Amino acid sequence: MCRILAYLGEPLPVQTLLFETDNSLVRQSYSPRMMNTFLNLAGFGMKAWDPTSLRPEDPFTYRTTTLPSFDRNLRFLSAKLAPTCLIAHVRGVTYSDEAVVADTNLHPFHFAGARVVLAHNGHLRQFPRMRYALVEHVRPELAQRIEGTTDSEWIYALVLSQLDDPYGDPETRELADATAGALRILRKVRVAHGIDTSSPVNLFVSTGRAVVATRLSFDYGWYPPEDEMLETDLPFVSLWYAIGGEYAKRDGDWEMTAGDPPRSVIIASEPLTTDFSTWLEVPEYSMLTAELTPEGLEFETRDLDV
Amino acid sequence: MSDRETVDFLGTVPLLEDQEERELVELARVMRRRTMQEGEILWSQGDDAREMVVIVDGAVSASLHLNGDRTVEIWAGGPREVVGEIALLDGEGHTMSVRVTETATVLALGRVEFAGLLARQDPSAFRLKRRLASLFATRLRKQLGHLADSLGGDVADPPAGDPARVFAELEYCGPPDSKYVRRMATFHEFDPLALWGFLTSGSYARCPPGRMLLAEGAPSTACYLTINGAVEKVLVRGDRRIRIGLAGPGKAFGYESLIDGRPSPLTAITRERALLLVLPWEPFEQLFNGEDAVSRVFLDVIQRDLVATLRQGLRQHARLVSSV
Repeated sequence: MCRILAYLGEPLPVQTLLFETDNSLVRQSYSPRMMNTFLNLAGFGMKAWDPTSLRPEDPFTYRTTTLPSFDRNLRFLSAKLAPTCLIAHVRGVTYSDEAVVADTNLHPFHFAGARVVLAHNGHLRQFPRMRYALVEHVRPELAQRIEGTTDSEWIYALVLSQLDDPYGDPETRELADATAGALRILRKVRVAHGIDTSSPVNLFVSTGRAVVATRLSFDYGWYPPEDEMLETDLPFVSLWYAIGGEYAKRDGDWEMTAGDPPRSVIIASEPLTTDFSTWLEVPEYSMLTAELTPEGLEFETRDLDV
Repeated sequence: MSDRETVDFLGTVPLLEDQEERELVELARVMRRRTMQEGEILWSQGDDAREMVVIVDGAVSASLHLNGDRTVEIWAGGPREVVGEIALLDGEGHTMSVRVTETATVLALGRVEFAGLLARQDPSAFRLKRRLASLFATRLRKQLGHLADSLGGDVADPPAGDPARVFAELEYCGPPDSKYVRRMATFHEFDPLALWGFLTSGSYARCPPGRMLLAEGAPSTACYLTINGAVEKVLVRGDRRIRIGLAGPGKAFGYESLIDGRPSPLTAITRERALLLVLPWEPFEQLFNGEDAVSRVFLDVIQRDLVATLRQGLRQHARLVSSV
């Protein structure tokens, strides 16, 4: 099962989030504490926004099909980057001759010229049955840009298609509504095709200024017979967050400091530390929105009834 | 404190009140007595669980660590109270930090010894499991009470009518594929015959989403176990609500009232269409009070669910206390 991470807040070295904590994202790729029936061997991708960089609205991009734990370039680069927003994703696939490990299937997805990126932790069961029914809900110019074989890239195109301007810089509210709208379409298409088995869609959608995250599963708790993903999906796909002032090392332990109003948030498949006493579980069937403002971080949790 | 006094004292501890003399003697032999000064820490939140303690005299307090070095006191305990058993049962870290607030004598029971008590194939283990379930149900009610207070407002009147109507109106159906059930994490470690016995103890029913199965404040006449789908356990006050937990596959709900005879402490509503194992009062009582392998499966399922719900409630508490 993929592992996913979003950070929004005070500038923070990428290496802290990817490598330094005792349950960092890269550690989760080979030793996940939750959902550990699959390893994550199909590649790594990240988008990092640094307001001090050239063209700050464009994220720094790194994607590779190699394993992040052995990737020296990633280690070197992550030590030099301190973004205010990061979306990072380790891709997991099932052991199957149908799985395609390729650059075009790496998250976060980001069509050239668009301001919105998306990463996905989960999978739409029986996606080939519904894939082409999604075409009518995706703007043609966006459908033409889908290069890979994943359900996630289609979800990305679907979210962009719900925006007034897919290449604009949407307000957080519009981004959240577009994400919920895309999920509603997926629900409708699944019903139309008689697809009624569990399909987790933990999404991270970001502009670099805002992050929208969902913890959702369609038809949670229902599985096809003899399903190879059953043990992985039986618990609701996990999602946690830590919110506060800044993520810092105190007395040898990484933790979020207090902040009122908050200034930073980390949202991740698993807490980044083995001691997760200061992390909160994102409620099932919910959406988080976080936006950086001059006054701090605006943060909201709401029930996702799609 | 002499050995005899220790045994007599253990007999007054609510968790152990159903245990027989010879069991208390054995327990007294393996428990370690310690005196701790005011300010000493028994353990910190998140620490690996090595022991639970029974407080003999003095006082302790349990607090929740929030980010930014903030702590909130959740519980204060004194003589005959037990602390630390949740982490021993689920193998995760301690739920809270525990500090001595008034010089205390405690009797510590190690992880292995505690697991040994519960794993026995004799009536004492069943009595202890039932006692734990009762104490956890009481603790859960208190925890839910605090969460409900934080919401403000009053609980809505429970729906009128015969509470038995809820499960009388369910759409009953056949049992699920046993191969699927055996793959659920909840049942991995159970003996197949005992599991089969448990799964054939009740009836199966399908439910559409949005169906209220339990209403807070109303009597409950059945306990349920989700086979497919999901059921939300919630507290509702006006238009505000807190989700206490999500009962997905392998998770039980509705047992609190059947354990203590009081009204349901929460509302349960199907979030997804669901296939449920329904255990009305009679089979529930047989399973809960039985002392065979089938009852062991059932008591373990209930215990795991209570422990998970208590942990979930603490996270909710942390969320409410945190500044966001």
